[in-house]
Parts: sequence; structure tokens; C-alpha cells
Amino acid sequence: MGGMHGFGPVIRDPSDRALDERPFHESWESRTFGLLVATSAKGLRTGSTRPAIEEIEPATYLASSYYERWARGLEAALVAGGSLTSAEVDARAATGEGRPTSSRATDPELAAAIRGFLNGSAPTSGEPVTAAFGVGDRVTVRRMAPVGHHRCPRYVRGVTGTIAAVNGGWPHPDADAPEAVYRVRFDMRDLWGDDAEPGALYIDLWERYLS
Amino acid sequence: MARRVTAIESLLVEKGLITSDVVDAVIETYERDVGPLNGARVVARAWVDEAYRGRLLDDGTQAIGELGFGGAEGEHLVVLENTPEVHNVVVCTLCSCYPWPVLGLPPRWYKSFAYRARMVREPRAVLTEFGTTLGDDVEVRVWDSSADVRYMVLPLRPDGADGLTEDDLVPFVTRDHMIGVVR
Repeated sequence: MGGMHGFGPVIRDPSDRALDERPFHESWESRTFGLLVATSAKGLRTGSTRPAIEEIEPATYLASSYYERWARGLEAALVAGGSLTSAEVDARAATGEGRPTSSRATDPELAAAIRGFLNGSAPTSGEPVTAAFGVGDRVTVRRMAPVGHHRCPRYVRGVTGTIAAVNGGWPHPDADAPEAVYRVRFDMRDLWGDDAEPGALYIDLWERYLS
Repeated sequence: MARRVTAIESLLVEKGLITSDVVDAVIETYERDVGPLNGARVVARAWVDEAYRGRLLDDGTQAIGELGFGGAEGEHLVVLENTPEVHNVVVCTLCSCYPWPVLGLPPRWYKSFAYRARMVREPRAVLTEFGTTLGDDVEVRVWDSSADVRYMVLPLRPDGADGLTEDDLVPFVTRDHMIGVVR
């Protein structure tokens, strides 16, 4: 989405500040988020939802809200994981039934474990890896037309910047082993032309994206 | 979409794959326990304790962990210091990544297409929409969290706040300060 033109002001409703403060605006949004974490913890889906979300057809993506996209990603991942089929979801959704209140089953152990994961510390500064570039190096982001999930925004491709920091090795969807990630600094004029606002942009890029 | 999500949860519960109390617990964590107050405590500590400030800028995850905050989406936290010459602001153009342990879940506007598209291209214009106007003598640095590092801004300590205790300072720090849309 970076740099895509045509969007107007960032909308915040001043009369709705109280609503804006809450993480979920509707019940189904909170259930979506809770289901994402719970199904991941239970092993019903693996990996990130980002690939499924990014595969949403562009017109649908732009017409969907944030949690709508996550809900689609959740369903796709659960179907891929074999827990349910879209047909089952279609059928159940059509009935308009609410959540089952008769089920008394609980899993407090898993609930507590998840709470611990969400709150607890699992710090890392990346794996030690050999880094091809060092601080101060001038690098150019490769031009590419990647298929599927990736982490290199279009607006920096082909642009030259400076390595500001080496972040250590991190997993990449296409790599078997952790790969060096760099903080790269770009001058706004190099990104957007001479009329650009003065300033700098910092972005974190995997080594494979740089030359 | 509401019906679909309800259907998904119902089916999973009926199949014995998950239980709803687990989902409830996750929701409760982010509605009650994890939010910008965490980050505000970190900032207030940094404002009164120079040594802590140094540790925070050197290793954000570690220093934030000293106050008991950490976990999901906070495995590698980097704190960006605002100075009289530099103003930092954070965005995630690819999807809306956000430092959950210190700020909770992101507000709707942070996840909007307008914010994600425009902040990397015309940050000063977007900042004025938040009431923040910066002179040419201040460098604006936009940070796109495109990998695994999560960023939080350490705002400038307000003028005239000398003599206030750490607890007194907490209310001065808002989520908007720590994202960087407000100076």
C-alpha cells in the first residue's frame, strides 16, 4: 500500500474517540482475533495469515475492512489445515445461528498458556548470520515481480539507500535458514522526486532484496 | 462477515477442536491487560531515569522487559528517540504491524489504507491532519515496520514538567505520541 495515491485524509471521527480507543469495534472482530490466536496455539493452522490475506483479489481487498481481511485469512488457513470446509461455513452462516451456549467444555490450561505467550517475554535480536553489507554501505533495492508472499514494498524497488543498521538474521518465507535483515535509510527525494517533502524513510529489508 | 465468524467458531467448538473460553481469554487480554498504558510507563520511566533511557535506546526489548512488558509482536522492540532536531513516526505499509506489548492493538486509522499509503509519501501532510506541524529545521523520519522489528517512539519530555514524578508523567504520554503522529 505504500505510496499508493488517491487516498484522502486519514479518517478519525472526533465524536467517536471513545470507540477509537477500543481494540475491537464489534463483537465479531474480537472473536476473529481470539480465533486467530487460539487456532494457531492449538495447531489448527500454521504459519502467518499474511499470505492468505495478500492473495485476496485486489478489488475485494480494498473493499474489505482490516478484520474482514483477517477473517478471510483465518477461514482460508483453517480450510487449508483441514479443520473445516467452506461449504460447512456457508451452510452454518446461512442459518444465522449464534454461538453455541450449550457447550460447557473449557480449556483453562490452554487459555492460561496463551495469555502467558501474549504477555510474556520471548525477546530475540535475530540469529547471528553472515551479513553481506555493513553500516554505511550504499545499496539498491532489486527490481522484482514476486509471486506470492514477500516483504519488499513496491515503493522502494529500484531505489538506492544507505545501510543504517544490521538487524541480525530472521526467517524469510522463501529461505531455509535465517537471513540478514537490514535497516535501510532512503532520502524522500530519492523515493518520490524533487518535489518530495524533506525527510528520510527507514525500512527493514532482507538481504535478498538488496544489491 | 459476522455470521461467518460465528459459524467458524461454532463449528470448531462442536468438532471439539477449540473451546470458547480460550477465545474469551485472548480477547480479555487485549481489552483489559495490554494497551498504551504499558508504553506510557516505559516513557515516563525514561523521562525521569537517564540510565534507563540509555538502556531503552540501546536494547528496547530488554529495557521494556524490565517493566514486565513483552510477548507477541514484541520480540524485537526498538525505541526511537525524538529530539529537537528529529521527529520519528511509525507505519506498516504491508499490513499494519504494531508493537502490541507496549501499545496494545492498533487503532482503526493506523490500519487504514489512507495512513498506510500516505505516511511514507507525504508524512508532514498527514501529520498536519493530526494537528502536528513541524518546521523545516526538524527532520521527519518515517519508519516502515516491514520485517520483524517493532518500533515505538520516545517522545520529548514536555516543557515545564521538571519536578514531576514518574507517576505524574504517565498521563502526558498518549498512544499517538508513541506512534509519532503527535509530538
